Amino acid sequence: MNSLRRFWSIGLLVVLVTGLLAACAPATPQVVEKTVEVEKVVEKVVEKVVTPTPAPPAEGAKMVIRVGTGDSGEGLNPHQEIIANFEKENPDILVQLEAVAGSDYYARLLTQIAAGDAPDIMQIGDDAVPMFVSKGAFLPLDDFIKGADPLDLNIYLPNTLKPGMYQGKQYFLPKDFSTMAVYYNKKIFDKYNVPYPKDGWTWDDFLKTAQQLTIDENKDGTPEIWGVQLMANWNGYEYFTASTGAKLISEDGKKIVGYMDSPETIKAVQFYVDLYNKYKVAPPPADFNQWAGGNPEFANGTAAMRLFGRWPQSGLLKNPNVDLGVVSVPVGDKKANIMFWGGFGIFSGTKHPEAAWRFLKYYVGEGGSKVWIKHGIPPVASVVKEAGMDQDPIEGVWIKALEDVVDRAYVSSDYWGETGAPAFGKALEKLLIDPTADVATVLKEAAAEAQAALDEKLGQ
Amino acid sequence: MKPQEKDLLFPAHWRRNIWNAMIYALLIAGSLMFLLPLFWAFTSSFKPDYQIFKIPPQWIPNPIRWQNYSEAWTYVPFGRFMLNTLIIAAGAITGNLLSCTIIAYGFARLRAPGKNALFILMLSTMMLVEPVRIIPMYIEFKTLGWIDTFLPMIVPAFFGSPFYIFLLRQFFMNIPKDLSDAALIDGASHLQILWRIILPISKPALAAVAIFNFQGVWNDFLYPLVFLHRHTNFTIALGLNFFRSSYSIQWGNLMAASMMALLPMVVVFFFAQRYFIEGISFSGIKG
Amino acid sequence: MTAITQRFSPLRFRWSLQKREALAFYLCILPWFIGFLLFYLGPILASFYFSLTKWDLLNPPQFVGLENYERIFTRDKYFLQAVKVTTIYTFSYVPLDLILGLLIALLVNQRVRGVGVFRTIFYMPSVLAGVAYVVMWMWVFNPQAGLINGILAYFGIQGPRWLLDPKWALPALIIMSLWGVGRSMVIYLAGLQDIPRELYESASIDGANTWHRFWNITLPLLTPSILFNLIFSIILTFQSFTNVYIATNGGPLDATLFYVLYLYRKAFDHLAMGYASALAWILFLIVLVCTLIIFATSGKWVFYRGVEE
Repeated sequence: MNSLRRFWSIGLLVVLVTGLLAACAPATPQVVEKTVEVEKVVEKVVEKVVTPTPAPPAEGAKMVIRVGTGDSGEGLNPHQEIIANFEKENPDILVQLEAVAGSDYYARLLTQIAAGDAPDIMQIGDDAVPMFVSKGAFLPLDDFIKGADPLDLNIYLPNTLKPGMYQGKQYFLPKDFSTMAVYYNKKIFDKYNVPYPKDGWTWDDFLKTAQQLTIDENKDGTPEIWGVQLMANWNGYEYFTASTGAKLISEDGKKIVGYMDSPETIKAVQFYVDLYNKYKVAPPPADFNQWAGGNPEFANGTAAMRLFGRWPQSGLLKNPNVDLGVVSVPVGDKKANIMFWGGFGIFSGTKHPEAAWRFLKYYVGEGGSKVWIKHGIPPVASVVKEAGMDQDPIEGVWIKALEDVVDRAYVSSDYWGETGAPAFGKALEKLLIDPTADVATVLKEAAAEAQAALDEKLGQ
Repeated sequence: MKPQEKDLLFPAHWRRNIWNAMIYALLIAGSLMFLLPLFWAFTSSFKPDYQIFKIPPQWIPNPIRWQNYSEAWTYVPFGRFMLNTLIIAAGAITGNLLSCTIIAYGFARLRAPGKNALFILMLSTMMLVEPVRIIPMYIEFKTLGWIDTFLPMIVPAFFGSPFYIFLLRQFFMNIPKDLSDAALIDGASHLQILWRIILPISKPALAAVAIFNFQGVWNDFLYPLVFLHRHTNFTIALGLNFFRSSYSIQWGNLMAASMMALLPMVVVFFFAQRYFIEGISFSGIKG
Repeated sequence: MTAITQRFSPLRFRWSLQKREALAFYLCILPWFIGFLLFYLGPILASFYFSLTKWDLLNPPQFVGLENYERIFTRDKYFLQAVKVTTIYTFSYVPLDLILGLLIALLVNQRVRGVGVFRTIFYMPSVLAGVAYVVMWMWVFNPQAGLINGILAYFGIQGPRWLLDPKWALPALIIMSLWGVGRSMVIYLAGLQDIPRELYESASIDGANTWHRFWNITLPLLTPSILFNLIFSIILTFQSFTNVYIATNGGPLDATLFYVLYLYRKAFDHLAMGYASALAWILFLIVLVCTLIIFATSGKWVFYRGVEE
């Protein structure tokens, strides 16, 4: 009986100790519900009403603002630096950063919103804007912008505010963006005596350069050097369709047939697919999922060019295989580009709208931009010009491309992600897997499928 | 061949050596197969990023980039993540060992009306996938105030987990009835039977539970993702996630971090598997 | 105790003993049952309710009755594809895992020096999880530079494009998962320890060779472990998610559209949590039925030493 009693008492002790450890280790800061004097009534959003309660903040008590971001690792350093600076200037506010990487970020955000426990400020990618705003998850910022603590929207670079708008109202302020451009490896160009590409070059120039730089010296069927590395089954394909003036869906978001299979779209997709299958200047896709990093050729120094966004740039600059140059995308039937974007907005269920706005202004305004610029191109024009980024031979390309940006398909319909995007993506997959498939036929099928799905969604 | 003939032609110790040699050959061949993919990840953890996906693959890193490891350790609070995960693992394993042994004993060695139905009910809780349960659970834990603490991942363990209950039940059911019957007749209570008879000979099964529980906590992603807010509370599984952002991945650091994350698991297993020692004989009882 | 025995007649004594055993049972189960009420029942009932609603997570759920279920069974071709893919995957992977796990466990159960190292090596891969593990395998399966096609090329065979080929993506995932056979190995190992040495010794004396010993002693006494691995593998494999999410995301051309992947997409990408809940309940029923069938037939082939026949 003694051993049994000992067993239970030890067990109980362990339970207690574990409980103590668990309770002590991550101490949740006591959140003191406070609201700051508010002079403007915040606008109604859908059915949710945020009513400000004026009350003087107690001595020494801090208000906590939670910020959710999908950045990770080193990308968090600027966040933390900006937060530290902000807290110094605003001692009554404590900012708690909640960071989760990648696509799981959205799953977590949605869970938190569904449970009514979302962060006050959240970072969203541009293609998720319609989804969240149409369901009433974010506050429109227009009143804040014009209100007691105003923000001059002219400080932003052209076209960078647009993705944060929905139905004419501003919901998000931009944090960063990326247009598309062509990286090129000067080492390869020099070795084979091909002149560097220049701004304003056409699709023909592009193809010619790629063909000149696809080199198969030992004639084994696999080139040692590829002309251009593309991306497979990823939204970047919209650059091609934008360049032929094609639209994937009608402006009113109701018709896909007639757009996704239009002659302009067919022309764009044909060119893209031909680069792989007919001209064989692009290495076959390493994966159809943007996850695992995709093709390694350009980073390995075995591809002359790469058509992509700005994200891998810092890595490429440090890569000894590559002597990096950046040039604007080649011009198709028209000069066009597309943009990818991230921004911050205020949760519609926030209990501290005024404080959140104060932080948001700083975060993605001029104050924060002075920190962001160390890690990328901030969308604030004054900071960019001051640093001379717009004149920089590399960074300037990304900035200048902003002038040519056209809307992506998701802008026209809240249902694009569920209907058009998967159908179109699959069509591209099919064309890349089966080189004998006919572009027009495949696109027609995809358009029909997407239309059927869209009709069903609209009919509900 | 008759046993005697066999002995003349192949003396026992010869047979033993040939047998051992065969075993070693198979072990080494199998190990190579199992290690080879891992080998690539291991060498990659010492390469600079641009060398990892080289075609043809570069097997020996050149230069050897030790910074992958030091960066991984400091890039994110890796030590903190490990500590957090260890705390959760300690709590969960304790809870499971305490509760699952008792519950499994009930299912395995006691008879009662409705036992089978309850067992199926318990098993079926494993069959409803987590993504659809996670939001009600979040609301529940929020009401309890457990969000952003380790409690959602430790406390339920003290009420048993179907996997380990099932596992232990299978083992407990395999212990001859005569053993416990003898004790019952001598007047022992069930708790004493559990503690004095069943548990001591169930060490392999208990070791298995500890190993699996440790592994489960170490790799658990969904619960920490949803229930932990500040990244100082994160676990290793979430921490590894930090090496990738939406459009790029820090391969070298990720591989290094994964190797570091693997190490405690390997150590735990290596020591726990000593409990898988051969046979406890039941003297006087024919199988 | 003896005083009590004297006071009751034999019949009533046995009945009271049974009652006490039942009571002991319910007491043992109590921790699980309380936990069930606290942590499982609420979310399970809630998710069933959600399956009868339309819910986009950002606004309150709207009741729609059986509409989700009706849609799944009549108009959802992705559902059919997901069931097909997941079933093929499960019924290919599980038998392979059972057999391979057993073989490896037998191998590492031998008493040779340093076997602990080998056990650790075989177990290690099953411990790795998440991004690094899957990416490692994606590289192994890389059509141009990967290990597998490299080895095949050595024998003059042109390897397929694996994860990029609709016909080969699923086999690639199966191979990827088989590498994690260490889990079943551990269970078998623990089970093998339970087999008394004397049984083997007396069988050898009686002239049984290695095969007889395996077939008549090892295998029957391992059946509880086999049952565990079988059931648990089925439950787990039907719910496979992480590997395919990272490796192929359901592609190419939906060749690897696993059930839970489809469910997750519906819940968090398409904001149809009600529909996803309905999918979850259908999966629940499928797995439950499989499990019940296995249990019902298990009496014929599983042998416990602690249970009276």
